[in-house]
Amino acid sequence: MINSILKYGLAILLLILFQILVLNNIQFSGFVNPYVYIMIILLLPTVTPSWLVLIVSFLTGLAIDLFSGSPGMHASATLLAGFARPTVLRIISPRDGYESGSSLSMAAYGFRWFIIYATTIVLIHHTTLFFLEVFRFADFFRTIFRILVSSLFTLGFILLIEYYRKGR
Amino acid sequence: MRNLLNFLLKYINIIVFLILEGIALYWLTNGNSYHNSTVVRAVQGVTKGLNERINNVRNYLSLREINSSLAAENSDLKNRLEKLTKKGDSDFISVDDSLLRQQYQYTSARIINNSVNRQKNYFTLDKGSLQGIRVDMAVTNGKDAVGVIVGCSQNFSVAISLLNLDFRLSARLRSNGYFGSLSWDGRNYRYAVLNEIPQNISVNEGDTIETTGFSAVFPEGIDIGKVSSLKKSGSDFYNISVELFADFKKLQYVNVIGNLKRTERLELETQFQ
Repeated sequence: MINSILKYGLAILLLILFQILVLNNIQFSGFVNPYVYIMIILLLPTVTPSWLVLIVSFLTGLAIDLFSGSPGMHASATLLAGFARPTVLRIISPRDGYESGSSLSMAAYGFRWFIIYATTIVLIHHTTLFFLEVFRFADFFRTIFRILVSSLFTLGFILLIEYYRKGR
Repeated sequence: MRNLLNFLLKYINIIVFLILEGIALYWLTNGNSYHNSTVVRAVQGVTKGLNERINNVRNYLSLREINSSLAAENSDLKNRLEKLTKKGDSDFISVDDSLLRQQYQYTSARIINNSVNRQKNYFTLDKGSLQGIRVDMAVTNGKDAVGVIVGCSQNFSVAISLLNLDFRLSARLRSNGYFGSLSWDGRNYRYAVLNEIPQNISVNEGDTIETTGFSAVFPEGIDIGKVSSLKKSGSDFYNISVELFADFKKLQYVNVIGNLKRTERLELETQFQ
């Protein structure tokens, strides 16, 4: 128990540092902003109570907000993703249900399940985030385009990290 | 009592969600006072230090470019100095001329945090109110307009970038003096949009756009960019796309320009509005 809390704490710290030190400094053509820190919400173990998921989401978003100088955008988007997580997990649950001890990884539930799960959560998060950033519905389709391109890159990074974890 | 507890336990998720989301959205909608809130200011000490360190590395990597731009500016200044001293040599008289008082003062500063990929971009400078930076001072990259200071702490200040949906700048065509309003449309960080230029005047691709000085922020005649393409829209005005001279992706050293006569001018102007 203590061991896994330490493990997740370390993973959360690493992902936040990766986001603010590396990804926030890569500015591709102005359309692409990968936000890989959302993996923190994806990977929390199944036994985590929902209220704890919410608090972890909020604090994660808050940390990213403080370091990228954006007021509350990441906090509200990540919180919404955390709020949607239990529902998403219920809808796409595998036939045998979730094993209570396992983590929600590609290694445990397979590629197809993981990609559906990750895509749903990432799209929820990015849609909220980018619309909050623009804060208007003018240029609607351009915002949608930015959401799709950035989601693709975020998913790419998430899959890379997952394959690395699976390979070990 | 037990019913109440049961109720709370049953809906704990939604309650926690609504409270936290409320906090986040409240923060978001009051975003303008963001740089002033005390919590944020306390944390900023840490984050600014980190940002500064990241930037130190980045600066080191592009020393060569900075050097060459500084050298170019230096030679330009030397040329002007030469002209001024030559003129003064012939009849140098010391007069206390109150008409020729200095109107603008310049300070240099280094950018320690910057972005171009958001819709509302800001950048942070390493000087603040202790070094004489004030709100509403203009920021240029030496020659071209890049932003306006919107907030200062003691040792840092934050400027709204030209690449911000909320930014408006009074700008004119250098060739004929017609002025309009320059803003960014959030698409490409190399291009901005100039509005309110009437269609009955002639505009050519490549025409230089400069500041007007109407807003008492920027001095008159600072370069902004050049006309890259223009469309006639349905209204009476052109739709002009302006290629910016300043490359916001590699901004590092900037000049901050303060208008010494700004207060006097604004006081006078408010009497007639």
